[in-house]
Amino acid sequence: MSFDTADALKDYATAGVSRHDLCFTSATPDALANLRSALGRSRVGVRVVLAGPPADVHAAASVAAECGLVDEEMTLRCNEVGPRVIFCGHCHTSTTTDHPIGTNVDCQGCGTTLTFTDHFSRRVGGYLGFSAHAEEAA
Amino acid sequence: MTATALQTKVQPVLEGTLQLEVTNVSAQTDSITSISFGDPLGELLPCYVPGSHLVVQHASGANAYSLTGSGSAPTEYSISVLRVEGGSGGSLAMHALAVGDRVQVSHPRSAFAPAATAKHHLLIAAGIGITPVLSHARYAAEWGASASLIYVHRPGTGAHVAEARALLGAGLTECLDRGSFQEVLTRKLTTQKLGTHLYVCGPTAFMDSVLEQAHDLGWPKGLLHSEAFSGAALDDGEPFTVNLARSGVTLSVPTGVSLLETLENAGLSIPNMCRKGICGECSVPVLAGNPLHRDLYLTDQEKEDNAAMMCCVSRSLDNELELDL
Repeated sequence: MSFDTADALKDYATAGVSRHDLCFTSATPDALANLRSALGRSRVGVRVVLAGPPADVHAAASVAAECGLVDEEMTLRCNEVGPRVIFCGHCHTSTTTDHPIGTNVDCQGCGTTLTFTDHFSRRVGGYLGFSAHAEEAA
Repeated sequence: MTATALQTKVQPVLEGTLQLEVTNVSAQTDSITSISFGDPLGELLPCYVPGSHLVVQHASGANAYSLTGSGSAPTEYSISVLRVEGGSGGSLAMHALAVGDRVQVSHPRSAFAPAATAKHHLLIAAGIGITPVLSHARYAAEWGASASLIYVHRPGTGAHVAEARALLGAGLTECLDRGSFQEVLTRKLTTQKLGTHLYVCGPTAFMDSVLEQAHDLGWPKGLLHSEAFSGAALDDGEPFTVNLARSGVTLSVPTGVSLLETLENAGLSIPNMCRKGICGECSVPVLAGNPLHRDLYLTDQEKEDNAAMMCCVSRSLDNELELDL
């Protein structure tokens, strides 16, 4: 499954084993539903390869893990750069940003100014964002 | 099932054990008997993870047996034991137990747990290998998890057949011979939905064959779980030397004598239990040298790391090993 660029996996060799390609511009709910149903039709023995921007790859990997896939069944090929998903620890909304680790971003859900470190969750496919000025408030 | 013979001198691990009373003995088949142990005062026993085993002490040593219950709020611990004539004596001692007898048992030990993330549990058992798998089936039934079982047994000699039928219904496939099992196995291994984990227990050759076929059909290791019956027969091995860095002692380990025995003879007290490379109790930290890993406990990665070894069965590839003892 690839995101952003349709031919990201064109050169990916599967040594003659049958393959099923899914290409989407980004990990939209529709794209993830497609992945979910493709996994539902699959049998143990298949491997899933996910390629594209990190945020999309991680969102898809999270869906695959939810379907019971283990790490050995997934290959993640993330682009070197790309936006990050910041998961708000207060309202659980995901905000996409290009800001580097250690900076702040305003949560799209609750408006809290969030700071984030390299604390990454594979389950939610994002970095933990937490109130940037919590200590100062008191 | 894990019917591993243990030697008499391994008592340390049985410290802090439970003293229980035999509450029920019933014949499953001509050669398999189920035995239940309960608290003499009728108290609840510590709960356990499905697939756990219990170490039961008897006059000539101690043996590990799989618990057949689901593990939640147990009032008794039940095991089923196949009588092995000419074995190490454990099965005969178990078969001699009568209601009211007191026995010393360990706390249940988990080494064959169900995967929490599994969407379906494919259970495979041969003969007395049904015991830990029955525990999984009961657990699945109790918690509404999806499970199916392939049970290979000879007509009239299968233990717990009626319970397996009641627990699994259409999810149970019974195979009475090798040919039909092979056919069922190939079909099952190629038709499982993603998220299925496989659990196998039975004779070593049976488990090896199932795991190898699963691997060949693309099943990753993370989905495969097996419960060893007993360790493989090992050769006597080459002699080597061990340096105990902290005690400043050098010991030589001759052919036919284990590192564990050598350490014990030198007066060291190393926690241990099965002495067959299964339980992981006798792990010792390695500082230098390449151990010859012969256990079933460490993962492949841990064996490559060479940071620890099971001193009951493992030896050395080099002439000398340095241990953090």
